[in-house]
Amino acid sequence: MEFSRSISLKRLTMTPIEQLTFLLRAVPITLSISLLSFLLGLTLGIIFSFIRIYGIAPLRYIADGYEKVFRSVPVLSIMFLLYFGLGGYIPIFKDSYLTSVIALGLVSGANQSQIFRSSIGSIGRSQMLAATSLGLSSFKALRHVILPQALFLAVPGLGSEIALLIKDSSYSFIIGVLELMKHTDILRAATRSLVFPYIASALIYVALTFPLATYLDKWGSKKKRELGL
Amino acid sequence: MNVLECKNLVKVYGKVVAVKNVSLGIGRGETKVIFGPSGSGKSTLLRCLGLLEKPTSGNIYFNNVDVYATKQDLNKLRAKIGFVFQEPSLFRHLTALRNVMLGLKHVLGYSEEESRSKAMEALRLVKMEDWANYYPAQLSGGQQQRVGIARAIAMDPEIILFDEPTAALDVELKWEVISVMKDLADRGITMLIATHELRFAKEVADEMIFMDQGEIIEIGDAEQFFTSPTTERARRFMAKLLG
Repeated sequence: MEFSRSISLKRLTMTPIEQLTFLLRAVPITLSISLLSFLLGLTLGIIFSFIRIYGIAPLRYIADGYEKVFRSVPVLSIMFLLYFGLGGYIPIFKDSYLTSVIALGLVSGANQSQIFRSSIGSIGRSQMLAATSLGLSSFKALRHVILPQALFLAVPGLGSEIALLIKDSSYSFIIGVLELMKHTDILRAATRSLVFPYIASALIYVALTFPLATYLDKWGSKKKRELGL
Repeated sequence: MNVLECKNLVKVYGKVVAVKNVSLGIGRGETKVIFGPSGSGKSTLLRCLGLLEKPTSGNIYFNNVDVYATKQDLNKLRAKIGFVFQEPSLFRHLTALRNVMLGLKHVLGYSEEESRSKAMEALRLVKMEDWANYYPAQLSGGQQQRVGIARAIAMDPEIILFDEPTAALDVELKWEVISVMKDLADRGITMLIATHELRFAKEVADEMIFMDQGEIIEIGDAEQFFTSPTTERARRFMAKLLG
């Protein structure tokens, strides 16, 4: 990259606004990694939590194993395994951006599966029974009665999960994704400033995570109260 | 002809025999009332008849077809057997109207508009049409039960099973639910009702069934239970209920 090659030669002088602008340019990447991995995690979380609660025995053990493994292994181990380990064999893992999304999504899926399990657990059994009594198939009962309520109940937990993903997306800097942490590092190297870039990017992370997580927490609690869930 | 019938029905949970060898039939247009102490197996019997629990042994017949022996599609039959629960069981994320529409749309396959108009009709029947767009949490217990009844009746079932629909309600809310059930009885809807509201039972029941410890102890008309129950157990229970 043109810019990063020039920095090894001489120290750049940039105004704080220029530095901040440079950091903010990485926000779309950070957010898109977080959002995509969240959606992947949401899909996996819903599927695995429903399998663990309503599934048949062998599938239930698989879901249980998935949850246990991906909740115990650091994101970075998974990212490295996929990128360095499988990258040589599977083309998709040659791409550091996609690898990050998948690694974060797999870990988030395990977290979200647990969030959904506890949400489903707090939906009274009478809801499923009432759905069954109308003649809804198990699938339709899950789809129209259990899932929507589980989603409402999961919102505060999902808010924290998004915040966690926004922060954890910074790991992908290590395999070379040009997201916020990578830009911070570039800025540090270019300006030889060890303070401003880190504080500025920390504040950006706070701005990305805190309001969203707080809002979702409030909204979820309000909905829960209103619907008497 | 019986709409719903069971023969020698037994339901065992672990070591507990909840229903012992019960045989019972409800004919078209009939209203029957089951009563008895709590834990007497009324709920379990109703859930078995509603095809919500599989009996341990015995047979259940719907329109004279043995449900389990002939491997019927249970969901299809459940749609024809209405069920009203004791505990609040409205879908909490849906408005009253949407609660009633759900089965119409996703079980019977009516369009959005048809479901809506049928659901409104059912809500009118239980005098809840003004509350169509309210969520369950915004309704009183009695109103919720009425919507629950509308949800069952909207499916146009051949029979409705009521599992102590007023037991969880305050005294002043009971009557609005009871008056709806009376109305249904007057319309000739086939019903099997578990209830302790004996005055109501006396008015609507073609037959009353006294259960204790999982067994049917005595069957008779309301008059008989009020004046001279034949069994000692029924006599004692009636004395307790009537204070």
